[in-house]
Amino acid sequence: MYPASAKKAAKAPTKGKGNPSSSAPLPEWKHAKAAREGFRINEMKMKNAETGEVLWHCGEWDHRRSETSARIPKAILNCRVVAREISFSSRESMKALRMKQNILFDGDLLEEWCFDFGFVIPGSTNSWEQTIEAAEQSEMIPAETLSGNILIETEFFDGPNLISQSKVRIFYV
Amino acid sequence: MGLLTLLRKLKRSDSEARILVLGLDNSGKTTILKKLSDEDISHIMPTQGFNIKSLVQGSFKLNVWDIGGQKTIRAYWQNYFEGTDALIYVIDSADRRRLEESGEELNELLQQDKLGGIPLLVFANKQDLLQALSAQEIAEQLSLHAIRDRTWNIQACSAKTGDGLQDGMEWLVTTLPK
Repeated sequence: MYPASAKKAAKAPTKGKGNPSSSAPLPEWKHAKAAREGFRINEMKMKNAETGEVLWHCGEWDHRRSETSARIPKAILNCRVVAREISFSSRESMKALRMKQNILFDGDLLEEWCFDFGFVIPGSTNSWEQTIEAAEQSEMIPAETLSGNILIETEFFDGPNLISQSKVRIFYV
Repeated sequence: MGLLTLLRKLKRSDSEARILVLGLDNSGKTTILKKLSDEDISHIMPTQGFNIKSLVQGSFKLNVWDIGGQKTIRAYWQNYFEGTDALIYVIDSADRRRLEESGEELNELLQQDKLGGIPLLVFANKQDLLQALSAQEIAEQLSLHAIRDRTWNIQACSAKTGDGLQDGMEWLVTTLPK
């Protein structure tokens, strides 16, 4: 993992017209390092998508810890439609950001979600929200079984380079 | 209410659509999208990048991209044109001073090859404000009637009250190229 306090920006963000990603690029490895240092997850949220009600929110993201735990109200399992939101900031521009989320149950892959963001504006704060319909109640694994055994792994890549990796263990309370 | 309800009605399958939402800063792009999903709209900050809403309905996926409208960010809009299936352009109907600037930005977008021929929905937002121009007045001032290379529509709306949002989205989603 990367240090909590990112080093001071080596380069002022480019401003004005044009596409700075095409002007004076850093060597690949240097850019990947700068992108990693300048990237941070600001918050994650889970909402009942039918009412907009926020059921879980984590704004204090400790990047030094490899695993964070989330205590989510059991009621979320009864929501027909759930929205998950993640917000992140990037100091550097990126050409091809993509996110991969794995949902593991007892170490087994339960679901996998990928999203291609593509270009990222230098000095930007961005968010992605996904709205998903829940499985039928009969197909649901009970909260007691799920609690503590669900792990959400979120990885961000810029092209082939790993930018950020975080794990959240879910407890239903 | 909401986009998901719309998608359920459509029953499209095995496809993915990308909608791009642009407009000047403070025109209400983010507020419109939040209001459409019944979220709290009382603390919305200027967008410093993008906000994406992905909706999954069966095997149909809809991605709505809202990109910040500040001048420094507009220079980056072009990075998000590729693969767009429909454009939503949001106008602050009460900001008469910047209507011309808004029209100029829209004209530039309409000349982009990567956005060529795709449906255009103009939201004439902030109709709840007293000094707001009507959708018809905006259409005239921006000469929308001269647009011949695509399907377009202007919808009066208020992101604050929610009026007109569902109607506009319904038009757009049903107009999406199949």
